[in-house]
Amino acid sequence: MENLHIPATKSSPEINFDAQTNILAITGESYPENTTQFYESVFKWLDNYIETLQDQEVIFNIELIYFNSSSSKVLMDLFDILEEASEEDKNIIVNWIYDEENDASLEYGEEFAEDMESLSFNLVEK
Amino acid sequence: MINLYDYKQKLQNDGIIFSFSGPMSHEIIEGIGSAIRVKIGEGENGDRKAALKVFAIFVEQVENVINYSVEKDYEESQLSFGIVVIGKRDEHFFISGGNKIQTEKVAKLEANLSKLVLMNKDELKIYYKEKRKAAKEDDSKGAGIGFIEMARKSTKPIEYSFEKIDEEYSFFTIKISI
Repeated sequence: MENLHIPATKSSPEINFDAQTNILAITGESYPENTTQFYESVFKWLDNYIETLQDQEVIFNIELIYFNSSSSKVLMDLFDILEEASEEDKNIIVNWIYDEENDASLEYGEEFAEDMESLSFNLVEK
Repeated sequence: MINLYDYKQKLQNDGIIFSFSGPMSHEIIEGIGSAIRVKIGEGENGDRKAALKVFAIFVEQVENVINYSVEKDYEESQLSFGIVVIGKRDEHFFISGGNKIQTEKVAKLEANLSKLVLMNKDELKIYYKEKRKAAKEDDSKGAGIGFIEMARKSTKPIEYSFEKIDEEYSFFTIKISI
């Protein structure tokens, strides 16, 4: 399956999904003009990718300095999809990467982690 | 106004760091947002945490103007008019935003906001998570959690007002202090 790479802009993060190494990354800032539109291709790729998964380990690194409230909603939807995949025995690990100086980012990570049951959700200091 | 000095001094005396009244667009958020982050976050007295908080509230407020202001040059215009002011008084930053809305929308908006004013931080957190899980409300163009997000970042209860312009339109103002 093809990899997905979307370069970062000032208000949208870099998307780097590698189906060969099984390392997926969202990095940067997220307050795109049209959030739904921006993440549409991301979710589409992910749905197809999850279908192909067997027992390989998938690492999902998320490192966001800032995201707006509509991106927060999108992240919740994303984690719901990953949670569901984990329940179906897919081996997915989320690393929520935060900067020590950015306490808001840690707090957001903790709140997402609280809502997850079967998904491995790690808070990782940069 | 051929001499803007008095106007500028007045803003400065009121503690205003930034003020913008006019058509809003996504580019305003990106451009002016960056300048705000540099102004508050960098330099000798820079406070990066405060800068990110002020920026976060600025983004939500400008997005509200873009999504909900009914003041436009023509109906399909991409540009919505509104006002955003950022200032600092007594060591606290404040971010105020305003735009024209339909008077018939006032009651629902007021009900939403008055609910947030009464909540403490823990209640706001629970409400935020609940709303984030829920499906989008019909007339909400964003995630519908922008106000809760602002209330959570605010160090005092959110302040707001509705000024009736005429039967059809009112002016909505919101103020967040951090």
